[in-house]
Amino acid sequence: MKASRIFDCVLGAVFLWAIIGLFHTPFDPLAQAFTAERLAGPSPEHWLGIDGLGRDLYSRIWLGSGNSISMGLIAMAGNLLLAGALLLVEQRAPGWLSRFILSTVSGWLAIPVLFIALILLIYWEQGPVTLICAVALGNVPFAFRQLRVLWLHQRETLYVQASRVLGSRSWMLFRKTIWPNLQPDVVGLAKLAFSFSVLEISGLAFLGLIGDPDFSELGSILRQNKSYLLADPLQVVWPGVFLSGILLLVQLSRSRTI
Amino acid sequence: MGYLIDSLRKIGVIFGVFLGGSLVLFTMIRLLEGDPVSLRLKNPDPEMVALERARLGLDDPLPVQYLNYLGGFVTGDWGRSLVTQRPVIEDVASRLTATLELTLAALALGVLYGIPVALLASSGKSWWIRKASHSLGVIGVVIPIFWLGFILIVMGSLWLQVFPTEGRFDFTYDKPQVTGFLLLDVVLTGRLELFGLVLRHLFLPALCLSFYPAAVAVNVIHPRLQDPRVRNLTVSLKARGLSPVRLWVKHLLKLASPPLITALGTNFGALLGGAVLTETVFSWPGMGSYLIDAILEKDLFVIENGFLFVIVMVFSTVSLADSLAHRMDPTLKKEER
Repeated sequence: MKASRIFDCVLGAVFLWAIIGLFHTPFDPLAQAFTAERLAGPSPEHWLGIDGLGRDLYSRIWLGSGNSISMGLIAMAGNLLLAGALLLVEQRAPGWLSRFILSTVSGWLAIPVLFIALILLIYWEQGPVTLICAVALGNVPFAFRQLRVLWLHQRETLYVQASRVLGSRSWMLFRKTIWPNLQPDVVGLAKLAFSFSVLEISGLAFLGLIGDPDFSELGSILRQNKSYLLADPLQVVWPGVFLSGILLLVQLSRSRTI
Repeated sequence: MGYLIDSLRKIGVIFGVFLGGSLVLFTMIRLLEGDPVSLRLKNPDPEMVALERARLGLDDPLPVQYLNYLGGFVTGDWGRSLVTQRPVIEDVASRLTATLELTLAALALGVLYGIPVALLASSGKSWWIRKASHSLGVIGVVIPIFWLGFILIVMGSLWLQVFPTEGRFDFTYDKPQVTGFLLLDVVLTGRLELFGLVLRHLFLPALCLSFYPAAVAVNVIHPRLQDPRVRNLTVSLKARGLSPVRLWVKHLLKLASPPLITALGTNFGALLGGAVLTETVFSWPGMGSYLIDAILEKDLFVIENGFLFVIVMVFSTVSLADSLAHRMDPTLKKEER
């Protein structure tokens, strides 16, 4: 069994744990039920202690991980779909249009996702949906360029050319010959896009752009607990440990696929 | 001659970005629902709003407004913030220098340790330095930069008690004001006793942000030195008896610099994005909070001019880095666009 396989399994387990957090946490993540014990340290009942507003920190982080991961997955899927669609257009388009798309993408690449999110926020309400859209859109040039390199590489390989000579056309050619060889690289790319999405969404949430300050997302928990940095550093350390842990697992499961 | 044409083409691209960016910003703001002016006035009585809009020139036909906007941007007449009534260009000048000071310090610091790590790793002697180099290369996708900032504050301010937790300067002292770059101003005004103070404020945020350029350095230099031709060159230069330092500085670094410069230029935008997060962690009075507040408050002129300036600046940096790299290495192939 390859090392990356093991990490894949662990990653799957963590995702499952996080998704459960969306439906069930030991305490209500929003109820300020323990105001008397504010900033109390870890105890058997409250594994990571109580936050500054009297809420169970572990419950908040559990729900937050669920939200971060699911938002990251949605953004990643949207991002890859958009990039794939753009690639399809670019490959089918006449020369001038394809050149225009390529130069637009290389310019777009220079603009950080944060600015794209900010410009979208001129229009849209702050909130999780806006952040997901911004991140999906902002990473399109990156995913597009990666997909394009993979695609061009596949198209030139001998087995694809052989298959074409034997008469297979468009969809069947793609389905039977190209996709099986493309798939591992696309999965690796998806993992990287997921890491970017999670990082950027939590970064934007950390900047306070997710709207509701009580929304449980690892970045916004970090922002809310920032005020207790000097009183109780662990309040800030824990959300980041979970966020980095998730990203580290993604990285480890990715390390041998691309 | 080719160089001249290339420069002209680059200037044309930047001009295109300027036109395109300004058009996008302008249209987005004009399509905005809800009038930014009436949001600002305390009792938005229609007469006052109309008067204020007329004064700000918001009732002119759109093409006239757009041309006024472009003209104002070029001549430095950026209007006043609707919220604070302060001139936008002054605010941008003071905040942008803060951001640039942080960014440039991070760039210098990151390259300063990123390059040696990459060189040591490619000399391939020890296992752990290769691991360290690999980790440095992926740190950006594993550790969120804002969390890293807090960890640095906990270590540097709470444990070591050497570094301040936030800000750029200690306001019990008189702040030197010449260029806006505090480190430079301290030297220019001859108040060297403040140098340490400024440096201590700058160090943690710059270290936090420096992982971005360091990762870029590692990711560019390491694969380039793994190139079989470069490896052969290394072997033959070693055989001629060159010392490792001479080999690295005179030969390998020279080979790896042009692509590194291009990559650092391309990543300048990302670095600014990281700077916004770092600024928030360390309460650094830079462009980040200024632009975010402007968006949330729908502060018309700040959005129009501040964003346009940042966008033009990013693109100018990219093409400047590109030209520099091409000057250093004319054989550098045009990257596929």
